[in-house]
Amino acid sequence: MFYRTSGQFKTTYESDQALFPIKQDMVLLVVILAAMYVIFPMFASEFTYKALLVPVLIYSLASLGLNILTGYAGQLSLGTAGFMGVGAYACYKITTIFPEMNIIVALFLSGFFSAAVGVAFGLPSLRIKGFYLAIATLASQFFLVWLFEKWAWLYNYNASGAIEVRTMDIFGLVVTGPNASPMVQYYFVLGIVSVVTFAMINLTRGRYGRTWKAVRDMDIAAELVGINLMRAKLSAFAVSSYIVGIAGALMVFFWKGAAEPNLFDIPMSFQIVFIAIIGGLGSVMGNFLGAILIVALPVVLNLLPEMLGLSIGSATMEHVNVMVVGSLIIMFLIVEPHGLARFWALIREKLIIWPFPH
Amino acid sequence: MKHFTNLGKAVAAGALAVAMSTAAMAADGLNFPNLTYRTGPFAGTGTPIMNGQRDYMLMLNERDGGIGGVPIDYIECETGYNTNKGVECYEKTKGEALVTQPWSTGITLQVMPRTNVDRIPILAPGYGFSPMSDGDTFAWAFNPPVSYWDGAYMILDYIAGGDMSSLKGKKIVLLHLDHPFGKEPIPLLEKLAEMHDFKLVPIPVGLKEMQNQSAQWLQIRRERPDNVVMWGWGAMNAGAITEAVKTRYPMENFIGIWWSGSDADLQNVGAKAKGYKSVSFNAPGNFPVLEDIRKHVVSKGNSEIKSEADMDTIFYQRGIIISMILAEAAKTAQDNFGEKNINAEQLRWGLENLDITAARLEELGMKGMTPPLKMACDNHTGHSGAWMLEWNGEEFVQASDLLTPNRELIKPLELEKAADYAKNNAPWPGRGDLACN
Repeated sequence: MFYRTSGQFKTTYESDQALFPIKQDMVLLVVILAAMYVIFPMFASEFTYKALLVPVLIYSLASLGLNILTGYAGQLSLGTAGFMGVGAYACYKITTIFPEMNIIVALFLSGFFSAAVGVAFGLPSLRIKGFYLAIATLASQFFLVWLFEKWAWLYNYNASGAIEVRTMDIFGLVVTGPNASPMVQYYFVLGIVSVVTFAMINLTRGRYGRTWKAVRDMDIAAELVGINLMRAKLSAFAVSSYIVGIAGALMVFFWKGAAEPNLFDIPMSFQIVFIAIIGGLGSVMGNFLGAILIVALPVVLNLLPEMLGLSIGSATMEHVNVMVVGSLIIMFLIVEPHGLARFWALIREKLIIWPFPH
Repeated sequence: MKHFTNLGKAVAAGALAVAMSTAAMAADGLNFPNLTYRTGPFAGTGTPIMNGQRDYMLMLNERDGGIGGVPIDYIECETGYNTNKGVECYEKTKGEALVTQPWSTGITLQVMPRTNVDRIPILAPGYGFSPMSDGDTFAWAFNPPVSYWDGAYMILDYIAGGDMSSLKGKKIVLLHLDHPFGKEPIPLLEKLAEMHDFKLVPIPVGLKEMQNQSAQWLQIRRERPDNVVMWGWGAMNAGAITEAVKTRYPMENFIGIWWSGSDADLQNVGAKAKGYKSVSFNAPGNFPVLEDIRKHVVSKGNSEIKSEADMDTIFYQRGIIISMILAEAAKTAQDNFGEKNINAEQLRWGLENLDITAARLEELGMKGMTPPLKMACDNHTGHSGAWMLEWNGEEFVQASDLLTPNRELIKPLELEKAADYAKNNAPWPGRGDLACN
């Protein structure tokens, strides 16, 4: 009824290969984009930007990066936070060495550093798989955080040992530092996330995406049909780390404003793995759904008692929060082990044939 | 079913509700939020301090009806020492807040540039970072009553028995958390080592190896230092003390910073840790203020402490001191501006012009609990000094007269690092249009 596809005929190859062949999907996307670009900024408070919208976008982007590697190319990685750190530190060094550089350029350049580091740590993937590869990426995680601590040049010999973000502008509009308006920062992050997401939807549908999926599903078979495994795996590491690096730089420059080395430690890697798994491996949309569940839900739950007029201690609420989010994760994984994206796909399928059961 | 097709709208509605709820959080009274960490890996250190802070504020409300007759709206926002939560809590509380208490170096660094724009004073007692003392750079930041560099100086002063030149030829190990907090004293200690010709050996303890320090203590055994100075926190303290006991390090030569002096860390080893010392800006004892808290808060069941014995711990009493500093600043501002409902900018003035004299401490029932404290425009720390406490096997006892830092030596370093900070965060507003008096 809502999702009736009858009557939507594809008469050209282009329309059949469109990103959204079904009209309702397109409408839904437009609604979501309109909400993100127009409706939210009309109502959102500073708190909503800083605690909900911006972090969800940044975590979605990081998870998208991980999903390219783990979900599409099948290479398990536990080093995401380390690669985010490489992006953040690279962006910090670039902007301090070349203070005149536009932050957008610096941001996209810093991705190349994390891509290079990602490829270097991806080399073991040519010989090892699965859990063994997870251990190799875990090693990169430990090594990178150690490097951020020890290599004082990275943080410009700062007494606090942390990287701090100075005020930067794009054509007169302040985008980083304390004077940047949260709305401007939100639009900036949203713009970058939209561009990268659009690029990734296309990339994963194209030649590279199909190569990655072939490697994921059975690497020997992929090799037999002529896929260069080395190129496929390393390109996945490169693209994944590039996106993850940008997410790390966005996190420090457009959200937090300062970062200590241990921000990029293993808990954040796990958090991003959770987002990718709960959202759905091998999907783009899942990253956003996963980030809403893991990043935004706890924040909203924390506000609930106040909205309902209950007075619960903040610490007690935190305990309740951990329990609620934990059980929700387990519940979602029992209901749909393939993640929220698959859950949505099932709902959509049901809606298409509704009101008929089959 | 419609629910699912309108996913976007549902999300929008949710965000709207959130936006509205945060706008409707206003409450009467003096709004003092505290970004607590009663959960997470460091809850053991945080909880007693937070209890002390909370109970003092509740006691003022019960006994005096607040400060100057205006009730205190003391709000806790739980961060679990997580910097992401720190952003969330700061944004959530800042609307009505007169002050922000970030309680973690990481959160402090994130929040500090924002407080200049939001015009909210930041109170980081005993932590933050030492250059915050320079009020002309950090107009909105305060870290009374002593900074880490003061602490490092006072510890060495105690070891040297008041005569720094006696340190010549000695070997001192700095066992520190490998984290910005733990590395904080290194610049000053290096400078002192050069001046007085002693050998400084920094031994870092990684965040992941806090509880297993056998490698570090093996190195300490090999180095045979005259003294071990510890900049530890959370689980690292108990780990170090246990390991020191195990390797039979002479406890009387082992001295910790004030965050390494929690009763809970030492109770596990008890008498074996006899002689361990910790520098502290609050001395233990039975002060009249504790009676008031017992009467107005604890006996009414409004406190969150587990048993009344918790009130005798160093950290709980330190929490009281921290809240007292804030309350006295509010009172200073009220008296000066002749206004009961002060705003954040007036509280900033109150902190800057805070003068807690010995007589005032006696009035508050805190005589001898903390040294008199006086802040100024170019002195946002006060540098009031501290005492050395010693673990006698059962509890901490005061083991020295008041130690004070050598300001002539430390101040140039503070100014230098403050200028560095301003440069890194350019354009840094500095004092701006804020009048000094």
